Order: sequence, then structure tokens, then C-alpha cells
Amino acid sequence: MKPRSRAGQAAVWQARLIMLVMINIAQLWILAATVDAALAGHYSVLLPLVIASGVCFAITLSIIKWWRPTSRKKTSTGYIR
Amino acid sequence: MTKNLSDESDVQAATAPYQAEFPYERDEEAQVTRREFCNFLGLTSAALFAGAAGFAGKAAIDARESVSLPVAHIAVAETLTPNSSLNFSYPTDRDSAILIRTADGAYHAYGQKCTHLSCPVYYSRAEQRLECPCHEGAFDAATGAVLYGPPPRALDRIEVETRDGQIWATGRNGG
Repeated sequence: MKPRSRAGQAAVWQARLIMLVMINIAQLWILAATVDAALAGHYSVLLPLVIASGVCFAITLSIIKWWRPTSRKKTSTGYIR
Repeated sequence: MTKNLSDESDVQAATAPYQAEFPYERDEEAQVTRREFCNFLGLTSAALFAGAAGFAGKAAIDARESVSLPVAHIAVAETLTPNSSLNFSYPTDRDSAILIRTADGAYHAYGQKCTHLSCPVYYSRAEQRLECPCHEGAFDAATGAVLYGPPPRALDRIEVETRDGQIWATGRNGG
């Protein structure tokens, strides 16, 4: 695969950051909805909300662990540019 | 070429000689790499997930706790004048409730938690209804039904009986 340019790598990093921030905002909303539902006694919606938050967390982990610029090579001592 | 990122470049010179042996690069320390920020967002995501799961778990456990409903005497309720209210606890000391004697002399009792976000409701003598001060919800004093505002359902109703001139709480029903 052709190595991505420095500008391209920066764009990928930027995209990762934007996605992570958006997911964090969504999780914040889910937490607020969970508190709302719990205090109002709407117990039926609690499980779907927790699952949604878990899915968001899983996506966050996948972005951090696996979505990396393709030109970065992994060595025994870590990633190099 | 050195780049001065802050106006605190004289801090090191102004503070202490130990900084010559243990230099602290304030400007470099202030930099956050993308990777560090990504990791921070990951931790934030984990914390938000844990918070949602913890809150939902506690609410679910609390909802499953079966509380036996004793028959309890509501002290000094007999002396309540019409169009006034009295706070008491039922069925446990942690469950605050409100007893209302309406203008027609009838007794009605409700759990004091608003069904919107659990703020304590109070009896408005002027309006003769229960009101929630947090988000301006209101409930009918005689039935506990929602009159207006954000509450999604009626107040929890506490059954009351008059025995030998005394007022007793005998049970509690969800609104």
C-alpha cells in the first residue's frame, strides 16, 4: 500500500479525534437520559441506554486501538512514523 | 530557533536554583499530543459508560427491593385543619410522604417525590394543589393526577384510613 503523506496522516488523526469527541458527547447525553429515566422510574429504558453507552465505548476502543494511519509501522518498541 | 509559547519564560529564572538541576520545561509540558488526547477521550468514554451502568444498576436494584407495607399511625394528623398538609414518612423513614386534608375535610396522602425528577412536592394552599418547585409541575390534591408540567405520571398514592378518629396509612400504590 502506498504510504500516506504527512498531511494525510494528520487528516486521519484529526478524523479520529473528531469521532471520539462526538462519541463522548453522545455518551454524555446517554448518561443524562439514564439519570432522567432512573429518577422518573422508567426502568424499562435503562437497559437499552446502558447498552447504547457500551456500544459507544466499544467504538471508542476500536478507534483508539485499531484505526491508525496506514503508513505507521508497528515495531517491537512501538509505532514509528 | 526557539519558539516562545508563553509569556512565562522568566518563571524559571525568577523561582529557584534547584531548577538548574531539575529543569522543568513549562511550555513543553503544556503540549498535549494527539495520542494523549485520544487516550484521554477513551478514558472519558469508559467513565461515562461506567456512570450510566452504575446509575442504572443502582436504580434497578432499588426498584426490586420489596418493602413490606406496614399499617402506620400518622401522628397528629387528626388535628390537621382543612386545606392544609402534613409531612410524614411511609413505609420507611427514608420515604417522605405528604398528607393533605382538602377543603372538604377529606384526607389524601401521596409519596412526596415528584414523578419527573424526584423533587419533593409541596401543598399549595392558595391553589389547593400539589406543586413541584423544580420544574413547575402540578398535581391534583384529591387524585394525585398530573395537572400540568413535565411529570409523566401521577404521584404514588398512599392509602389512608380513619380508625377511632386517628389517621392510619395502610398501603402504597404506584401512580
